[in-house]
Amino acid sequence: MPLHQIAMVLDLNKCLGCQTCTMACKKLWTDGDGMDYMYWNNVETRPGQGYPRNWDRIGGGFENGMLRPSELPSKLDYGQTFEYNYEERLFQGGLQAMPQEETRNTPNWDEDVGALMAGENYYFYLPRLCNHCTNPACLAACPRNAIYKREEDGIVLVDQERCEGYRYCMRACPYKKIYYNELLGKAQKCIFCYPRIEQGDTTACSKQCPGRLRFVGFLDDESSAVHSLVKVHRVALGLFPEKGTDPNVFYVPPFNPPRRGNYGKSVLEDARMPLDYLVYLFGQEVIDVIRRLELELEKAQNGGVSDVLQLLIGRDAEVRYQIPKRDQLVQIGGIGKA
Amino acid sequence: MKRSLALLFFAAALSAEMPSIPSTAAAPDDALDPASTGWKTARAVSLALHRTPPLYATDAPAAREIDSVQVQLLRGASAVFVRLEWADPTRDEVSLPGQEKTWVTEKLVTPSEATDRFSDSVAVMIPAEPGADVYPSLQMGDRDRPVRIYFVSATRGAAVMEATGRGTTHRTGERFPARLGYAAGKWAATMQLQNLPAGAPLSFAVWNGSQQDRDGRKYFTVWYTTE
Repeated sequence: MPLHQIAMVLDLNKCLGCQTCTMACKKLWTDGDGMDYMYWNNVETRPGQGYPRNWDRIGGGFENGMLRPSELPSKLDYGQTFEYNYEERLFQGGLQAMPQEETRNTPNWDEDVGALMAGENYYFYLPRLCNHCTNPACLAACPRNAIYKREEDGIVLVDQERCEGYRYCMRACPYKKIYYNELLGKAQKCIFCYPRIEQGDTTACSKQCPGRLRFVGFLDDESSAVHSLVKVHRVALGLFPEKGTDPNVFYVPPFNPPRRGNYGKSVLEDARMPLDYLVYLFGQEVIDVIRRLELELEKAQNGGVSDVLQLLIGRDAEVRYQIPKRDQLVQIGGIGKA
Repeated sequence: MKRSLALLFFAAALSAEMPSIPSTAAAPDDALDPASTGWKTARAVSLALHRTPPLYATDAPAAREIDSVQVQLLRGASAVFVRLEWADPTRDEVSLPGQEKTWVTEKLVTPSEATDRFSDSVAVMIPAEPGADVYPSLQMGDRDRPVRIYFVSATRGAAVMEATGRGTTHRTGERFPARLGYAAGKWAATMQLQNLPAGAPLSFAVWNGSQQDRDGRKYFTVWYTTE
């Protein structure tokens, strides 16, 4: 177990699906050879197939303490890259801009498709990155001991010297957030912008987020927003807790108001989306989280002040990010005390 | 997770009990060419290949699709040449893209073409410290008996590795002369190794990419000795 654990909380009620986080990460970390298809940070529409497609249905993680079987996604599962027929459209009188080749899948293939409930469409956006798990399946699966969890901040990294590209880690990760660079023959993944974190700065994906939905800090830092949201107010949950990896990226679940005409009703009585789907993603505790959020909403609607909702507004960077520089980490509690 | 295969692989054996591989003197200048006439006259022996059982609980058992490897040895003035030939109906060799480029943000880069394919490979393992009565474990040697591995990947070429047991394999940074060619459903590999005295132990391994072979998921022989 690391001495300290960095964490992120994402408020899904605020995600615009704009992919600014995706591009911030792409430009900073994955614009090199062999990394074309990699989005260490991606945003996918839920319900939907996800990226890589069906990642949530192909196993991985742990069951009864043992790694669960899974599959390696193919390049097509991650989605194709393609260009448009600009030349034809702009200079040769073509009527339509079309992809240059037959496109069968892209990283956000089913954007905004969602699903139907009682004849009404619903969907939300789910930004995803490596969960820097407390019990990483990737680390457990690597026979080379090439994957390690940093003691000082719990960030999970792949030692590029030791990695031989066996891809057991890709298979084991239940979130499919490890990628294979075929040119280098190495596994690569989100590094939680550790060079920025070490300087006391936040990750590129959170820094660039126009929706201000990301909170970053140390879980064991009692003054941090992430500690408050996860440990004190308990309104943020990890994805697929049953997969046994103990993720350190947490989500405030979509907390849509009741449908039109049902003012005063509980969200749980008249939800805009099937609660079963939220239970599928976040586990049974999501119902309790929605109850807690509903109480906070009621408090605010009755003229009171909700500390949780005020915090979730995330007015400025000082509210959202509490990242001590590396040499100041000693001043915060330590993961064992959080 | 990591299943111990100690009983299976801890097969330290006395050299006297091991079958031997014939070696022919006077390797020609073109001995690295798998089609060299020198190999046509060199004596050959066919060695049984064994399939490693699933190493991890998440591995599906793999069929034994390759049953043997043919081995020849030629002796040069200061080196030993090995030629290995085995039947493999699937040629799992990736020509990594060179000139192909695609736009990623504002840069043109070379893409990864696939995420789920594995390469055919072959290796020769010898004890790193010759002359011992007891051979190293076939499972990449053991702490007191290190091994040296001459590894050739159809995709990434040759590399020398050393190990003192499973999970300890590391590249030494050395390269060695080797060639690998595929024709008519068979691979033929030639390697130029360090000089080996008569009676030196050798073992061989073959990886079949289409069976997702990598790491300890492979075909292997027991120890044999040079004639």
